[in-house]
Amino acid sequence: MSIQVEGTIERKGFGSGTWALVSNSGDTYELRKAPTDLQKEGLKVKVDGEIREDVMTFAMIGPVLEVDRFEIINH
Amino acid sequence: MKRFLLLVLFLVGLGWALTNYQGLATQGTYNSIILDFREDVGAAQIESQIEAIANQFKVSPRYNSEFSLDDHIFVVSGDPTFLNKLKHSELRKFTEYIEPNYIYSKYAIPNDPEYGKQWNMRSINVEQAWDETKGKDVTVAVIDTGISPVPDLQDTKFAAGYDFVNDQSEAKDDNGHGTHVAGTIAQATNNNFGVAGIAYEATLMPLKVLSADGGGTVADIAEAIRFAADHGADVINMSLGGGGESNLMKEAISYAHSKNVVVVAAAGNAGRNAAEYPARYPYVIGVSALDAAGTKTPYSNFGAGIDISAPGGLINGEDKLGGILQNTVNPQTGESVFEAYQGTSMAAPHVAGVAALVKAMGVETPDEVEDVLKQSALAIDDDPLNHYGAGKLNAAEAVKLAGKGKFSFRDFFRWLRDNGYLNPRFWFDGGVIALWPKILMVLGSYLLAWFLKHYFPFAWTWSLSTGLVMGSSGLFFLRGLYLYDAPQWPFRLMGSSIPEMGSAVQASGLLNPFSASVLIPLVLVVLLLGHTSWKWFAIGTTIGVGVCLAVSTINTPGLMWLGDGAIARAFLATNALLCFALVRLVLKPETRTS
Repeated sequence: MSIQVEGTIERKGFGSGTWALVSNSGDTYELRKAPTDLQKEGLKVKVDGEIREDVMTFAMIGPVLEVDRFEIINH
Repeated sequence: MKRFLLLVLFLVGLGWALTNYQGLATQGTYNSIILDFREDVGAAQIESQIEAIANQFKVSPRYNSEFSLDDHIFVVSGDPTFLNKLKHSELRKFTEYIEPNYIYSKYAIPNDPEYGKQWNMRSINVEQAWDETKGKDVTVAVIDTGISPVPDLQDTKFAAGYDFVNDQSEAKDDNGHGTHVAGTIAQATNNNFGVAGIAYEATLMPLKVLSADGGGTVADIAEAIRFAADHGADVINMSLGGGGESNLMKEAISYAHSKNVVVVAAAGNAGRNAAEYPARYPYVIGVSALDAAGTKTPYSNFGAGIDISAPGGLINGEDKLGGILQNTVNPQTGESVFEAYQGTSMAAPHVAGVAALVKAMGVETPDEVEDVLKQSALAIDDDPLNHYGAGKLNAAEAVKLAGKGKFSFRDFFRWLRDNGYLNPRFWFDGGVIALWPKILMVLGSYLLAWFLKHYFPFAWTWSLSTGLVMGSSGLFFLRGLYLYDAPQWPFRLMGSSIPEMGSAVQASGLLNPFSASVLIPLVLVVLLLGHTSWKWFAIGTTIGVGVCLAVSTINTPGLMWLGDGAIARAFLATNALLCFALVRLVLKPETRTS
């Protein structure tokens, strides 16, 4: 399922740490294959990607969003 | 009338099934008995009593110490049979109590220098459990990011595992998560180094399914489950979750279950109602996470699918003392580090470790292991949202219970589920209902109606019965029902009696004084009095509410804003009486006209 999510990048402290995208409506997505440019806390972004229903993770913070494209809105 | 009786019978049957959860009291050992004579019994009388039992049972009671003289405390050697005899003898009249003199012993504390920081080990009482077993000859498969041979796993035994990510036999950890989880289960203990693990004589089977970035596919995980079941694993730990329902995975879990493997999984860290997959599949023990104070952590999922709770830790910024400390690898350098992590990922291996201890005590089937874990858990009385499942993990009690070899945990709802009567999308929390008060309420209102019928003859109708149930107990079995991924409050509301409705949505154990009063019955009576059949609903409701409030007055008088003391009791009792007065008022002219 491909979707577009707009929100803020956050680092979640589970295990050795995980990159998350918290949408403007408050939903938390776990980012999969997040490019280095996206790995910055507080970054406002628009991410195009796919929800991976077949992937499990140890962070378990919400749906897994595999990043296809992203656009930085501001820092 | 007949149908109502059937309903009552059904409720009693349900009650019977649910209360078989009980009989959980576990006891320590003793070989002597304490006799405490009453303060008002004179020295001469005590002496003659002591002499009497000495002659009768050929024993020699003695003062426990020189300080016991004033307290009138004697100790006599004896076993449970003797205790029973004493309790039924003349002596009973002269004593305050006769009870077992339980033996307390100090448990060995491991010599691992950082053990003092492992609050989690003490909070599950693992030291006492180690007196019995350390998990020898039990294999625990860790399905995770792999396990690296860090120094504090040097003395730990390993079985051959597999790396399903890179398709190779060596399953090393490139993240740190799996090694940490493995440490909680079986970190080398009493080795004068680092920290301790729960079942440290157990064997670890490393199965890598998550890549360095912490994710893995359902296909790999399902294969790992089958690998574990086929290669002699006794317990599987899955500190992972997410995604959707998968038949492949569900079947793999059923397969492992059929091979007598205990499957434990983390509930998830989204802080929401409902565990993630795989914790929510049948045959999986779902674990929520506790902090150092023993309360559910804010991140831990709760509600549907939570079977038990265990320490998962809570890290507060730079202060990592609230986390779970184990030896793992630094993913950047690959070097050994002692790191505190938090998460339901950390809670699950506590349960897997204790499951290994229970298995080592000779408990064979996964259902029995689950029963032992749940029965021995420290139950939380007030848990309306199911934060804790059966309760908090207790290793000492679990091992003790396993040693007894007798545990008949007839879980009615598991039976329903296993036999296909309960859709897997539903989940039921049996612990949420205080059953006997409910039965008392519904039976009490039925009896009261029957009694009233004797004096004010009226016909028994469905609307009356409905009113009786709605007023007294409600459809209370719905309170514990969950539909995965849906809010639970509609079930709580539907499962509430009228007095409970005012606090059902916020899941408070307290009653709302507005709904737990004569107010609603009064409104119903006023509105429905003119209607020939609905009137009986109002009357039934009033009787039901009256009985419910009367039972609550005695049993659980907790009210919002009014506390649970004399004021609350007086409020409930007054309203119960007002309900009965209202019924009488309505029924009286009824008999005159008839």
